[in-house]
Amino acid sequence: MPLLEGQGLCVDYGRVRALQGIDIEIEEGQVVGLLGPNGSGKTTLLNVLGGLVVPTAGGVRVDGALVTGKAPWAFSRLGIGRTFQVPRPFAGLTVLESVLVGVTFRKRRKFFRAADRRREGERLLAVVGLDAKAGACSSELSFGQMKRLELAIALSARPRILLLDELASGLSPQGRGEVLQFYGRLRERGIAIVAVEHSVSTLASVADRLILLNGGVIAAQGAAAEMLASPRIGEAYLGGPDE
Amino acid sequence: MTASRAALAVALLVLPPAIGLPAYYLHLLATALVLATLASAWSVLAWGGQISFGQAAFFGVGAYAAALAAINGVASWAALTLGAAAGAATGALMSAAALRLRGAPLALATLAFAEIGRGIALNWERLTGGGAGIVGIPPLPGAASSPRAAAYYTALLLLAVTLSAFTWMKGSRMGLALAAVREDEERASLLGVNPAVWKVAAFLLSGGLTGAAGGLYAHMVRVVEPDLVFSSWYSLAPLIMATLGGSRTPLGPAAAAVGLYLASELVLQPLAPALHQVGYALSLIAAVLFLPAGLGGLPGRRRRATP
Repeated sequence: MPLLEGQGLCVDYGRVRALQGIDIEIEEGQVVGLLGPNGSGKTTLLNVLGGLVVPTAGGVRVDGALVTGKAPWAFSRLGIGRTFQVPRPFAGLTVLESVLVGVTFRKRRKFFRAADRRREGERLLAVVGLDAKAGACSSELSFGQMKRLELAIALSARPRILLLDELASGLSPQGRGEVLQFYGRLRERGIAIVAVEHSVSTLASVADRLILLNGGVIAAQGAAAEMLASPRIGEAYLGGPDE
Repeated sequence: MTASRAALAVALLVLPPAIGLPAYYLHLLATALVLATLASAWSVLAWGGQISFGQAAFFGVGAYAAALAAINGVASWAALTLGAAAGAATGALMSAAALRLRGAPLALATLAFAEIGRGIALNWERLTGGGAGIVGIPPLPGAASSPRAAAYYTALLLLAVTLSAFTWMKGSRMGLALAAVREDEERASLLGVNPAVWKVAAFLLSGGLTGAAGGLYAHMVRVVEPDLVFSSWYSLAPLIMATLGGSRTPLGPAAAAVGLYLASELVLQPLAPALHQVGYALSLIAAVLFLPAGLGGLPGRRRRATP
Protein backbone atom coordinates (compact mmCIF):
# COMPACT_ATOMS: atom_id res chain seq x y z
CA MET A 1 0.00 0.00 0.00
CA PRO A 2 1.42 3.42 -0.94
CA LEU A 3 2.18 5.84 1.87
CA LEU A 4 0.60 8.73 -0.03
CA GLU A 5 -1.64 8.44 -3.02
CA GLY A 6 -3.49 10.84 -5.28
CA GLN A 7 -6.21 9.48 -7.55
CA GLY A 8 -7.73 11.41 -10.44
CA LEU A 9 -6.79 14.75 -8.92
CA CYS A 10 -8.38 17.76 -10.60
CA VAL A 11 -8.12 21.36 -9.48
CA ASP A 12 -9.95 24.27 -11.09
CA TYR A 13 -9.16 27.90 -10.38
CA GLY A 14 -12.19 29.54 -11.93
CA ARG A 15 -12.00 28.64 -15.61
CA VAL A 16 -8.39 27.54 -15.37
CA ARG A 17 -7.89 23.82 -14.87
CA ALA A 18 -4.61 23.55 -12.95
CA LEU A 19 -4.67 19.76 -12.57
CA GLN A 20 -6.48 17.33 -14.84
CA GLY A 21 -6.80 13.83 -13.46
CA ILE A 22 -3.40 13.29 -11.87
CA ASP A 23 -2.63 9.83 -10.44
CA ILE A 24 0.41 9.62 -8.20
CA GLU A 25 1.74 7.13 -5.64
CA ILE A 26 4.57 7.63 -3.18
CA GLU A 27 6.02 4.64 -1.37
CA GLU A 28 7.84 4.71 1.94
CA GLY A 29 11.35 6.16 1.63
CA GLN A 30 10.89 6.98 -2.05
CA VAL A 31 12.04 10.27 -3.61
CA VAL A 32 9.78 11.50 -6.41
CA GLY A 33 10.78 14.55 -8.45
CA LEU A 34 8.24 16.78 -10.17
CA LEU A 35 9.37 18.51 -13.35
CA GLY A 36 7.62 20.84 -15.71
CA PRO A 37 7.49 24.38 -17.03
CA ASN A 38 6.00 27.27 -15.04
CA GLY A 39 2.25 26.84 -14.63
CA SER A 40 2.35 23.12 -15.27
CA GLY A 41 0.71 22.37 -11.89
CA LYS A 42 3.68 21.28 -9.75
CA THR A 43 2.99 23.54 -6.76
CA THR A 44 -0.76 22.95 -7.05
CA LEU A 45 -0.10 19.21 -6.84
CA LEU A 46 2.00 19.74 -3.69
CA ASN A 47 -0.79 21.89 -2.26
CA VAL A 48 -3.33 19.14 -2.85
CA LEU A 49 -1.12 16.39 -1.45
CA GLY A 50 -0.38 18.54 1.63
CA GLY A 51 -4.01 19.42 2.34
CA LEU A 52 -3.77 23.11 1.50
CA VAL A 53 -6.03 22.84 -1.53
CA VAL A 54 -9.07 20.57 -1.72
CA PRO A 55 -9.23 19.01 -5.19
CA THR A 56 -12.24 19.74 -7.37
CA ALA A 57 -12.34 16.03 -8.15
CA GLY A 58 -10.35 13.00 -7.12
CA GLY A 59 -9.02 11.94 -3.75
CA VAL A 60 -5.92 11.85 -1.56
CA ARG A 61 -5.16 8.78 0.53
CA VAL A 62 -2.63 8.39 3.35
CA ASP A 63 -1.92 4.76 4.33
CA GLY A 64 -4.92 3.83 2.20
CA ALA A 65 -7.35 6.04 4.12
CA LEU A 66 -9.19 8.78 2.27
CA VAL A 67 -8.19 12.18 3.72
CA THR A 68 -9.56 14.54 1.05
CA GLY A 69 -11.14 17.64 2.58
CA LYS A 70 -9.50 17.26 5.99
CA ALA A 71 -7.93 20.36 7.53
CA PRO A 72 -4.21 21.00 6.95
CA TRP A 73 -3.46 20.28 10.62
CA ALA A 74 -4.94 16.82 10.18
CA PHE A 75 -2.62 16.21 7.21
CA SER A 76 0.29 17.29 9.39
CA ARG A 77 -0.69 14.84 12.10
CA LEU A 78 -0.83 12.09 9.52
CA GLY A 79 2.84 12.78 8.89
CA ILE A 80 2.86 15.09 5.88
CA GLY A 81 5.28 18.03 6.00
CA ARG A 82 5.79 20.88 3.60
CA THR A 83 8.26 23.61 2.60
CA PHE A 84 7.49 26.62 0.43
CA GLN A 85 9.36 27.99 -2.56
CA VAL A 86 9.42 31.44 -0.95
CA PRO A 87 10.35 30.83 2.70
CA ARG A 88 7.54 31.45 5.16
CA PRO A 89 9.18 31.74 8.56
CA PHE A 90 7.07 32.93 11.49
CA ALA A 91 8.35 36.47 11.14
CA GLY A 92 7.59 37.63 14.67
CA LEU A 93 8.97 34.51 16.36
CA THR A 94 12.55 33.57 17.08
CA VAL A 95 14.23 30.86 15.06
CA LEU A 96 13.90 28.40 17.95
CA GLU A 97 10.24 29.28 18.56
CA SER A 98 9.54 28.70 14.86
CA VAL A 99 10.65 25.07 15.08
CA LEU A 100 9.03 24.60 18.48
CA VAL A 101 5.60 25.01 16.86
CA GLY A 102 5.92 21.73 14.99
CA VAL A 103 7.76 20.01 17.85
CA THR A 104 4.95 20.95 20.25
CA PHE A 105 1.98 20.06 18.09
CA ARG A 106 3.14 16.99 16.24
CA LYS A 107 1.36 13.75 16.82
CA ARG A 108 4.15 11.23 16.72
CA ARG A 109 6.81 11.02 19.45
CA LYS A 110 5.49 13.90 21.46
CA PHE A 111 7.54 15.72 24.03
CA PHE A 112 5.52 16.59 27.09
CA ARG A 113 8.13 18.59 29.01
CA ALA A 114 9.07 22.07 27.82
CA ALA A 115 12.75 21.33 28.38
CA ASP A 116 12.53 18.25 26.12
CA ARG A 117 10.77 20.23 23.42
CA ARG A 118 13.42 22.90 23.59
CA ARG A 119 16.18 20.30 23.32
CA GLU A 120 14.49 18.76 20.29
CA GLY A 121 14.14 22.22 18.70
CA GLU A 122 17.82 22.94 19.28
CA ARG A 123 18.73 19.56 17.80
CA LEU A 124 16.74 20.34 14.64
CA LEU A 125 18.43 23.71 14.31
CA ALA A 126 21.80 22.00 14.64
CA VAL A 127 20.82 19.63 11.81
CA VAL A 128 20.36 22.58 9.45
CA GLY A 129 23.28 24.58 10.89
CA LEU A 130 21.20 27.28 12.53
CA ASP A 131 21.92 26.46 16.18
CA ALA A 132 23.87 29.70 16.60
CA LYS A 133 20.81 31.66 15.44
CA ALA A 134 18.30 30.09 17.83
CA GLY A 135 17.53 33.37 19.59
CA ALA A 136 17.45 35.54 16.46
CA CYS A 137 14.20 36.83 15.01
CA SER A 138 13.22 34.64 12.03
CA SER A 139 12.68 37.65 9.79
CA GLU A 140 16.26 38.80 10.33
CA LEU A 141 17.84 35.74 8.69
CA SER A 142 19.52 35.85 5.28
CA PHE A 143 17.70 34.16 2.37
CA GLY A 144 19.92 31.09 2.58
CA GLN A 145 19.36 30.83 6.32
CA MET A 146 15.61 31.18 5.79
CA LYS A 147 15.74 28.24 3.39
CA ARG A 148 17.45 26.18 6.09
CA LEU A 149 14.87 27.30 8.63
CA GLU A 150 12.15 26.37 6.15
CA LEU A 151 13.46 22.79 6.16
CA ALA A 152 13.85 22.73 9.95
CA ILE A 153 10.26 23.95 10.37
CA ALA A 154 9.01 21.23 8.04
CA LEU A 155 11.03 18.59 9.92
CA SER A 156 9.82 19.85 13.29
CA ALA A 157 6.46 18.08 12.88
CA ARG A 158 8.39 14.80 12.32
CA PRO A 159 6.94 14.05 8.89
CA ARG A 160 6.96 10.68 7.14
CA ILE A 161 6.45 12.42 3.81
CA LEU A 162 8.02 15.75 2.89
CA LEU A 163 6.72 17.94 0.10
CA LEU A 164 9.65 20.16 -0.87
CA ASP A 165 8.97 23.12 -3.14
CA GLU A 166 12.20 24.32 -4.77
CA LEU A 167 14.33 23.95 -1.68
CA ALA A 168 17.53 24.64 -3.68
CA SER A 169 16.29 27.55 -5.75
CA GLY A 170 17.90 30.93 -5.19
CA LEU A 171 20.84 29.39 -3.34
CA SER A 172 24.54 29.67 -4.17
CA PRO A 173 26.27 26.61 -5.68
CA GLN A 174 27.53 25.82 -2.18
CA GLY A 175 24.02 26.15 -0.79
CA ARG A 176 22.67 23.85 -3.51
CA GLY A 177 25.34 21.31 -2.60
CA GLU A 178 24.20 21.41 1.00
CA VAL A 179 20.60 20.90 -0.08
CA LEU A 180 21.71 17.79 -1.98
CA GLN A 181 23.31 16.51 1.20
CA PHE A 182 20.05 17.19 3.07
CA TYR A 183 18.16 15.12 0.49
CA GLY A 184 20.59 12.27 1.14
CA ARG A 185 20.19 12.52 4.89
CA LEU A 186 16.39 12.63 4.67
CA ARG A 187 16.42 9.56 2.46
CA GLU A 188 18.65 7.75 4.99
CA ARG A 189 16.04 8.49 7.65
CA GLY A 190 13.40 6.81 5.50
CA ILE A 191 11.42 9.97 4.83
CA ALA A 192 9.51 9.85 1.55
CA ILE A 193 9.92 12.99 -0.52
CA VAL A 194 8.00 14.68 -3.31
CA ALA A 195 10.30 17.41 -4.58
CA VAL A 196 9.92 20.23 -7.05
CA GLU A 197 13.24 21.74 -8.17
CA HIS A 198 14.03 24.21 -10.87
CA SER A 199 17.34 22.49 -11.53
CA VAL A 200 16.75 19.21 -13.34
CA SER A 201 20.24 17.99 -12.49
CA THR A 202 19.53 18.52 -8.78
CA LEU A 203 16.33 16.53 -9.06
CA ALA A 204 17.83 13.78 -11.15
CA SER A 205 20.64 13.28 -8.66
CA VAL A 206 18.30 12.67 -5.74
CA ALA A 207 15.07 11.25 -7.18
CA ASP A 208 14.18 7.60 -7.72
CA ARG A 209 11.43 8.60 -10.11
CA LEU A 210 10.69 11.72 -12.13
CA ILE A 211 7.24 12.89 -13.14
CA LEU A 212 6.92 15.47 -15.89
CA LEU A 213 3.86 17.70 -15.65
CA ASN A 214 2.61 19.90 -18.45
CA GLY A 215 -0.70 21.74 -18.58
CA GLY A 216 -1.91 19.97 -15.47
CA VAL A 217 -1.42 16.44 -16.79
CA ILE A 218 1.38 13.92 -16.43
CA ALA A 219 3.26 14.15 -19.73
CA ALA A 220 5.80 11.47 -18.89
CA GLN A 221 7.19 9.59 -15.90
CA GLY A 222 9.83 7.00 -15.15
CA ALA A 223 13.15 6.30 -13.48
CA ALA A 224 15.35 9.39 -13.21
CA ALA A 225 18.11 8.13 -15.51
CA GLU A 226 15.61 6.92 -18.08
CA MET A 227 13.77 10.25 -18.08
CA LEU A 228 16.93 12.31 -18.45
CA ALA A 229 18.02 10.22 -21.43
CA SER A 230 14.84 10.92 -23.31
CA PRO A 231 15.55 13.60 -25.91
CA ARG A 232 11.83 14.19 -26.52
CA ILE A 233 11.28 15.35 -22.96
CA GLY A 234 14.36 17.53 -22.88
CA GLU A 235 13.46 19.27 -26.09
CA ALA A 236 9.76 19.61 -25.50
CA TYR A 237 9.71 20.84 -21.93
CA LEU A 238 13.14 21.64 -20.61
CA GLY A 239 14.70 23.54 -23.48
CA GLY A 240 17.78 21.36 -23.70
CA PRO A 241 20.18 19.89 -21.17
CA ASP A 242 20.36 21.46 -17.76
CA GLU A 243 23.32 23.74 -17.18
CA MET B 1 12.69 42.11 38.72
CA THR B 2 14.58 41.39 41.93
CA ALA B 3 12.80 40.17 45.04
CA SER B 4 13.33 43.50 46.83
CA ARG B 5 11.85 45.45 43.92
CA ALA B 6 8.88 43.10 43.77
CA ALA B 7 8.34 43.52 47.52
CA LEU B 8 8.48 47.31 47.14
CA ALA B 9 5.98 47.20 44.27
CA VAL B 10 3.57 45.06 46.31
CA ALA B 11 3.94 47.36 49.32
CA LEU B 12 3.18 50.43 47.19
CA LEU B 13 0.14 48.76 45.66
CA VAL B 14 -1.24 47.63 49.01
CA LEU B 15 -0.60 51.00 50.66
CA PRO B 16 -3.26 53.44 49.28
CA PRO B 17 -6.24 52.30 51.40
CA ALA B 18 -4.03 51.82 54.45
CA ILE B 19 -2.83 55.44 54.51
CA GLY B 20 -6.36 56.75 54.50
CA LEU B 21 -6.51 58.04 50.95
CA PRO B 22 -9.83 59.86 50.36
CA ALA B 23 -12.62 57.74 48.91
CA TYR B 24 -12.61 59.62 45.61
CA TYR B 25 -8.97 58.83 44.92
CA LEU B 26 -9.40 55.22 45.97
CA HIS B 27 -12.27 54.95 43.50
CA LEU B 28 -10.08 56.44 40.77
CA LEU B 29 -7.31 53.95 41.55
CA ALA B 30 -9.73 51.01 41.61
CA THR B 31 -11.18 52.11 38.25
CA ALA B 32 -7.65 52.41 36.86
CA LEU B 33 -6.98 48.82 37.98
CA VAL B 34 -10.21 47.64 36.34
CA LEU B 35 -9.11 49.33 33.10
CA ALA B 36 -5.67 47.71 33.47
CA THR B 37 -7.42 44.35 33.69
CA LEU B 38 -9.41 45.14 30.55
CA ALA B 39 -6.27 46.16 28.64
CA SER B 40 -4.44 42.99 29.67
CA ALA B 41 -7.44 40.82 28.78
CA TRP B 42 -7.65 42.54 25.37
CA SER B 43 -3.99 41.62 24.87
CA VAL B 44 -4.84 37.92 25.26
CA LEU B 45 -6.82 38.17 22.03
CA ALA B 46 -4.24 40.40 20.34
CA TRP B 47 -1.56 37.81 21.11
CA GLY B 48 -3.29 35.55 18.61
CA GLY B 49 -3.71 38.38 16.10
CA GLN B 50 -7.38 38.87 16.93
CA ILE B 51 -8.21 42.55 17.25
CA SER B 52 -11.38 43.13 19.24
CA PHE B 53 -13.49 46.27 19.11
CA GLY B 54 -16.12 44.61 21.25
CA GLN B 55 -14.74 44.04 24.75
CA ALA B 56 -17.75 45.99 26.04
CA ALA B 57 -19.82 42.89 25.22
CA PHE B 58 -17.91 40.82 27.81
CA PHE B 59 -17.79 43.70 30.28
CA GLY B 60 -21.51 44.45 30.00
CA VAL B 61 -22.65 40.84 30.14
CA GLY B 62 -20.37 40.21 33.13
CA ALA B 63 -21.69 43.31 34.88
CA TYR B 64 -25.34 42.33 34.32
CA ALA B 65 -24.78 38.70 35.33
CA ALA B 66 -23.05 39.72 38.57
CA ALA B 67 -25.64 42.44 39.28
CA LEU B 68 -28.60 40.10 38.76
CA ALA B 69 -26.99 37.46 40.96
CA ALA B 70 -26.09 39.96 43.68
CA ILE B 71 -29.56 41.54 43.96
CA ASN B 72 -31.01 38.05 44.25
CA GLY B 73 -28.91 37.33 47.32
CA VAL B 74 -25.94 35.53 45.77
CA ALA B 75 -22.68 36.20 47.64
CA SER B 76 -20.43 38.76 45.98
CA TRP B 77 -17.59 36.34 45.26
CA ALA B 78 -20.05 33.96 43.57
CA ALA B 79 -21.58 36.89 41.67
CA LEU B 80 -18.13 37.85 40.37
CA THR B 81 -17.52 34.23 39.34
CA LEU B 82 -20.86 34.26 37.52
CA GLY B 83 -19.80 37.49 35.79
CA ALA B 84 -16.61 35.77 34.63
CA ALA B 85 -18.57 32.73 33.42
CA ALA B 86 -21.03 34.95 31.54
CA GLY B 87 -18.15 36.87 29.94
CA ALA B 88 -16.50 33.59 28.92
CA ALA B 89 -19.77 32.32 27.44
CA THR B 90 -20.09 35.53 25.43
CA GLY B 91 -16.50 34.95 24.31
CA ALA B 92 -17.46 31.47 23.11
CA LEU B 93 -20.33 32.96 21.10
CA MET B 94 -18.11 35.66 19.63
CA SER B 95 -15.47 33.11 18.69
CA ALA B 96 -17.98 31.50 16.36
CA ALA B 97 -17.51 34.59 14.20
CA ALA B 98 -13.77 34.66 14.86
CA LEU B 99 -13.31 31.25 13.25
CA ARG B 100 -14.49 32.62 9.92
CA LEU B 101 -13.17 36.18 10.04
CA ARG B 102 -9.80 37.89 10.38
CA GLY B 103 -8.49 41.44 10.56
CA ALA B 104 -10.91 44.31 10.02
CA PRO B 105 -14.02 42.14 9.41
CA LEU B 106 -13.41 40.34 12.70
CA ALA B 107 -12.96 43.66 14.52
CA LEU B 108 -16.27 44.91 13.11
CA ALA B 109 -18.04 41.68 14.06
CA THR B 110 -16.86 42.07 17.66
CA LEU B 111 -18.11 45.65 17.64
CA ALA B 112 -21.49 44.39 16.48
CA PHE B 113 -21.58 41.93 19.38
CA ALA B 114 -21.20 44.76 21.88
CA GLU B 115 -24.03 46.68 20.23
CA ILE B 116 -26.24 43.59 20.24
CA GLY B 117 -25.55 43.21 23.96
CA ARG B 118 -26.53 46.82 24.59
CA GLY B 119 -29.69 46.37 22.54
CA ILE B 120 -30.71 43.27 24.47
CA ALA B 121 -30.04 44.93 27.83
CA LEU B 122 -32.10 47.92 26.72
CA ASN B 123 -35.08 45.93 25.48
CA TRP B 124 -35.31 42.89 27.75
CA GLU B 125 -36.87 44.97 30.49
CA ARG B 126 -38.21 42.12 32.63
CA LEU B 127 -34.70 40.82 33.18
CA THR B 128 -32.48 43.90 32.92
CA GLY B 129 -34.74 46.76 33.89
CA GLY B 130 -34.37 48.25 30.41
CA GLY B 131 -32.91 51.74 30.16
CA ALA B 132 -33.31 52.30 33.92
CA GLY B 133 -30.96 49.38 34.56
CA ILE B 134 -30.47 47.62 37.88
CA VAL B 135 -29.90 49.58 41.06
CA GLY B 136 -29.19 48.63 44.66
CA ILE B 137 -26.37 46.19 43.97
CA PRO B 138 -24.83 45.40 47.37
CA PRO B 139 -21.26 46.50 48.08
CA LEU B 140 -18.43 44.02 48.33
CA PRO B 141 -18.26 41.89 51.51
CA GLY B 142 -16.62 43.26 54.62
CA ALA B 143 -16.78 46.69 53.12
CA ALA B 144 -19.36 48.38 55.31
CA SER B 145 -16.76 50.71 56.82
CA SER B 146 -14.72 51.19 53.66
CA PRO B 147 -16.43 50.11 50.44
CA ARG B 148 -13.77 51.79 48.31
CA ALA B 149 -10.96 49.89 50.02
CA ALA B 150 -12.66 46.55 49.35
CA ALA B 151 -13.18 47.50 45.70
CA TYR B 152 -9.55 48.58 45.42
CA TYR B 153 -8.17 45.34 46.83
CA THR B 154 -10.53 43.21 44.74
CA ALA B 155 -9.50 45.14 41.60
CA LEU B 156 -5.85 44.63 42.55
CA LEU B 157 -6.43 40.90 43.01
CA LEU B 158 -8.26 40.61 39.69
CA LEU B 159 -5.46 42.45 37.91
CA ALA B 160 -2.90 40.10 39.51
CA VAL B 161 -4.93 37.10 38.29
CA THR B 162 -5.18 38.61 34.80
CA LEU B 163 -1.46 39.37 34.56
CA SER B 164 -0.63 35.87 35.82
CA ALA B 165 -3.00 34.33 33.26
CA PHE B 166 -1.49 36.38 30.44
CA THR B 167 2.08 35.53 31.48
CA TRP B 168 1.18 31.85 31.83
CA MET B 169 -0.53 31.85 28.43
CA LYS B 170 2.46 33.41 26.67
CA GLY B 171 4.77 30.66 27.90
CA SER B 172 2.34 27.80 27.33
CA ARG B 173 1.37 25.64 24.34
CA MET B 174 -1.60 27.97 23.93
CA GLY B 175 0.68 31.00 23.65
CA LEU B 176 2.92 29.33 21.10
CA ALA B 177 -0.05 28.16 19.03
CA LEU B 178 -1.67 31.61 19.06
CA ALA B 179 1.62 33.34 18.21
CA ALA B 180 2.09 30.98 15.27
CA VAL B 181 -1.51 31.57 14.13
CA ARG B 182 -0.95 35.32 14.43
CA GLU B 183 2.15 35.17 12.25
CA ASP B 184 0.91 32.73 9.60
CA GLU B 185 -2.27 30.78 10.28
CA GLU B 186 -1.89 28.50 7.26
CA ARG B 187 1.69 27.62 8.12
CA ALA B 188 0.77 26.97 11.75
CA SER B 189 -2.00 24.68 10.59
CA LEU B 190 0.46 22.74 8.43
CA LEU B 191 2.45 22.03 11.59
CA GLY B 192 -0.41 20.41 13.46
CA VAL B 193 -1.90 23.50 15.14
CA ASN B 194 -5.70 23.53 15.04
CA PRO B 195 -6.31 27.30 14.90
CA ALA B 196 -10.00 27.05 15.82
CA VAL B 197 -9.32 25.43 19.19
CA TRP B 198 -6.84 28.09 20.28
CA LYS B 199 -8.87 31.03 19.00
CA VAL B 200 -11.86 29.83 20.99
CA ALA B 201 -9.61 29.39 24.04
CA ALA B 202 -8.36 32.97 23.68
CA PHE B 203 -11.92 34.31 23.47
CA LEU B 204 -12.93 32.28 26.53
CA LEU B 205 -9.99 33.57 28.56
CA SER B 206 -10.31 37.19 27.45
CA GLY B 207 -14.10 37.11 27.83
CA GLY B 208 -13.90 35.53 31.29
CA LEU B 209 -11.39 38.04 32.65
CA THR B 210 -13.27 40.99 31.17
CA GLY B 211 -16.58 39.62 32.45
CA ALA B 212 -15.14 39.39 35.96
CA ALA B 213 -14.00 43.01 35.66
CA GLY B 214 -17.54 43.95 34.59
CA GLY B 215 -18.93 42.14 37.64
CA LEU B 216 -16.52 43.97 39.91
CA TYR B 217 -17.41 47.31 38.33
CA ALA B 218 -21.10 46.62 38.97
CA HIS B 219 -20.28 46.16 42.66
CA MET B 220 -18.17 49.33 42.65
CA VAL B 221 -20.77 51.68 41.16
CA ARG B 222 -23.73 49.62 42.47
CA VAL B 223 -25.77 50.29 39.36
CA VAL B 224 -25.73 48.87 35.83
CA GLU B 225 -27.33 50.49 32.78
CA PRO B 226 -27.03 49.52 29.12
CA ASP B 227 -25.35 52.79 28.13
CA LEU B 228 -22.97 52.55 31.07
CA VAL B 229 -21.59 49.00 30.93
CA PHE B 230 -22.00 48.37 27.19
CA SER B 231 -20.47 51.77 26.41
CA SER B 232 -17.99 51.80 23.52
CA TRP B 233 -15.54 53.24 26.07
CA TYR B 234 -15.01 49.71 27.43
CA SER B 235 -14.17 48.53 23.92
CA LEU B 236 -11.93 51.41 22.91
CA ALA B 237 -10.09 52.07 26.18
CA PRO B 238 -8.46 48.61 26.38
CA LEU B 239 -7.46 48.82 22.72
CA ILE B 240 -5.86 52.26 23.17
CA MET B 241 -4.17 51.39 26.45
CA ALA B 242 -2.78 48.05 25.28
CA THR B 243 -1.56 49.54 21.99
CA LEU B 244 0.26 52.31 23.84
CA GLY B 245 1.70 49.96 26.46
CA GLY B 246 2.68 47.22 24.03
CA SER B 247 0.17 44.39 23.85
CA ARG B 248 2.85 41.69 23.72
CA THR B 249 4.48 42.69 26.99
CA PRO B 250 3.04 41.43 30.28
CA LEU B 251 3.03 44.75 32.16
CA GLY B 252 2.84 47.27 29.29
CA PRO B 253 -0.96 47.34 28.79
CA ALA B 254 -1.68 47.51 32.52
CA ALA B 255 0.91 50.24 33.15
CA ALA B 256 -0.36 52.28 30.19
CA ALA B 257 -3.96 51.90 31.42
CA VAL B 258 -3.15 53.16 34.90
CA GLY B 259 -0.93 55.97 33.60
CA LEU B 260 -3.32 57.17 30.91
CA TYR B 261 -6.42 57.05 33.08
CA LEU B 262 -4.88 58.79 36.06
CA ALA B 263 -3.22 61.42 33.85
CA SER B 264 -6.55 62.05 32.17
CA GLU B 265 -8.55 62.27 35.40
CA LEU B 266 -6.05 64.01 37.66
CA VAL B 267 -4.15 66.26 35.24
CA LEU B 268 -6.13 66.89 32.05
CA GLN B 269 -9.60 66.93 33.61
CA PRO B 270 -8.86 69.87 35.97
CA LEU B 271 -6.94 71.73 33.27
CA ALA B 272 -9.30 71.26 30.32
CA PRO B 273 -12.48 69.42 31.31
CA ALA B 274 -13.91 69.45 27.79
CA LEU B 275 -10.77 68.10 26.21
CA HIS B 276 -9.49 65.68 28.82
CA GLN B 277 -10.22 62.62 26.66
CA VAL B 278 -8.13 63.97 23.80
CA GLY B 279 -5.15 62.40 25.55
CA TYR B 280 -6.42 58.93 24.65
CA ALA B 281 -6.75 59.79 20.97
CA LEU B 282 -3.34 61.42 20.82
CA SER B 283 -1.78 58.45 22.62
CA LEU B 284 -3.24 56.02 20.10
CA ILE B 285 -2.07 58.10 17.14
CA ALA B 286 1.42 58.47 18.64
CA ALA B 287 1.66 54.73 19.38
CA VAL B 288 0.56 53.75 15.87
CA LEU B 289 2.94 56.20 14.20
CA PHE B 290 6.03 55.99 16.39
CA LEU B 291 5.75 52.98 18.70
CA PRO B 292 4.50 49.95 16.79
CA ALA B 293 5.50 47.70 19.69
CA GLY B 294 4.24 50.17 22.28
CA LEU B 295 6.13 51.60 25.24
CA GLY B 296 6.80 48.07 26.47
CA GLY B 297 8.62 47.31 23.23
CA LEU B 298 11.11 50.16 23.67
CA PRO B 299 13.77 48.24 25.66
CA GLY B 300 13.96 45.52 22.97
CA ARG B 301 14.14 48.18 20.26
CA ARG B 302 17.03 49.91 22.03
CA ARG B 303 18.85 46.60 22.47
CA ARG B 304 18.52 45.85 18.76
CA ALA B 305 19.77 49.30 17.82
CA THR B 306 22.93 48.71 19.87
CA PRO B 307 25.09 46.00 18.29
